[in-house]
Amino acid sequence: MQQASSISAYQQARRPPSAAAAPARLQVSDLSHAFVTADGVSTRIFERLNFHIGPSEIMSIVGRSGAGKTTLFNLISGLLNPQHGAVTVGPRDNGMPGRIAYMLQKDLLLPWRSVLQNALLGIELHRAVTPADVERAKDMLARYGLGAVAHAYPHALSGGMRQRVALTRTLLVDPTLVLLDEPFSALDYETRLMLEDDVMTLRDSYGTSVVLVTHDIEEAIAMSDRVIVLGGRPACIEQDIPIELTLTGQRNAVSAREAPEFREYHARIWAALRGPVAHQGKGVV
Amino acid sequence: MSNALAVETIRVGRRRAIKLPSPSSVIRAGSVAALCLGLLTLWQIAASHHWINGQLFGSPLGIYNAAYSGLTQGTLASDTLITLYETLAGLAIGSLLGTGLGLLLWFLPALAGLAEGFSILLNSIPKIALGPLIIIWFGSGAGSKIWLAAISTFAVAMISSTAAAREIDRDLLNLFRSFQAKRSMIFRKLILPSALPWIFSTLRVNIGFALIGSVVGEYIASQAGLGHEVFVAGSLFDLNTVWLGVIILTLMATLLTFIVQLIEERIVSWKPKR
Repeated sequence: MQQASSISAYQQARRPPSAAAAPARLQVSDLSHAFVTADGVSTRIFERLNFHIGPSEIMSIVGRSGAGKTTLFNLISGLLNPQHGAVTVGPRDNGMPGRIAYMLQKDLLLPWRSVLQNALLGIELHRAVTPADVERAKDMLARYGLGAVAHAYPHALSGGMRQRVALTRTLLVDPTLVLLDEPFSALDYETRLMLEDDVMTLRDSYGTSVVLVTHDIEEAIAMSDRVIVLGGRPACIEQDIPIELTLTGQRNAVSAREAPEFREYHARIWAALRGPVAHQGKGVV
Repeated sequence: MSNALAVETIRVGRRRAIKLPSPSSVIRAGSVAALCLGLLTLWQIAASHHWINGQLFGSPLGIYNAAYSGLTQGTLASDTLITLYETLAGLAIGSLLGTGLGLLLWFLPALAGLAEGFSILLNSIPKIALGPLIIIWFGSGAGSKIWLAAISTFAVAMISSTAAAREIDRDLLNLFRSFQAKRSMIFRKLILPSALPWIFSTLRVNIGFALIGSVVGEYIASQAGLGHEVFVAGSLFDLNTVWLGVIILTLMATLLTFIVQLIEERIVSWKPKR
């Protein structure tokens, strides 16, 4: 697959380990992509995008609707092949190839499979499921408050529970990078905060990197180490904002929203989304 | 943080206990039976008092006598079994081939459009009109009836399974692809299970088509079967035997539908109950 070749390309390009910090989990270099409509008109979506995501980093991509966020995800996850440039998945710390997992707004649970079977789907699709996998799945379901419903069918579950099963399914394949495409936008506020916490905990305990696409600026600020504002047509990175919050305790979905800098970031991102901004540092991160 | 979810009440899909019919369904079944019984009584009275011509309309008692003599001579049971065999074999062949081909076309999207157009054309043929042809090719035995029933069910099965495979949610396909699933895996774990409800509803419709195929085949040329029995009785103005045949065919179709439904409930048990 395309990703496999990209991995080796990345490893060749990698500098000696001593030269820099840990290798990026994802490197997007000079990525350009265009859609050709039925009447032959080619619309450029991205023009020379460059960015990277480091280990255990949470990065959000915000942009107006139609900015090409979902296309970008399809390119990163390998569902689409880029027309120009490269998407490179960095290796794990032990040198094994990294892995991307993808989670959408729709939970996409299979109605004919129990919660446990749904959680195991990702593993099942590329190798035989072992008893150890089943144990791990049960543990993770239990951690997300789904232990009692492991053998129920998805239709018996609430939206938040279903989305947590989808999260479990995503995490069980041991990804180095998780792509979240507005995964919580259909949920009520409280459930949403809980799931945001889940994702932050995931980063803290496994070092998983996360890329989140959202149109909710607050969610982006609360969860991320960095927020990228995507805009223009063809889209480029208009702003790359590191988020640094002054917190009294542990960072979580609620405490982050109470940080003194929160409003300021909100205003800045909102302004970037609304108005045409001078393309400072255009497309280069 | 998960406390709020843990206390949420949820229905856990356990194996159901034996389902008792609800009072309203008992009342409905009872009134249908009472209505039928009343009509039969009325019919019998009308025939006995010669208000209607018993020769032209038959009568419930006449049907009973026909059934009794058919049972004692053994022809009724053997005719029923022959028609049942032809119908089931035709249904199995037609549905299996049609469904299999329709689903496998998912692997060949380039061919799917062509094949779907062809199956729609095939479905437009009044299959019964092919009867004489089939009889010439396969003789007047059970074979020609099986094939007529198979042809009657094939196109419907193929059209609906092609559609079932095509209607798969794009996001689900993308999910499978993002897990790097092979096409054979996608077929086994996604296409096939999502098509199952479609396959069963087609199967239920096809019971009727298969029955028409086998019975009309028997009308055209045969030595046995309920269609043969009905056809011969009709030409002899033995209306009671005609009625008897019709009743048995109706019961057969109902029974088959019921069996398919039972199998469906077993296999598609994940579906939320209404």
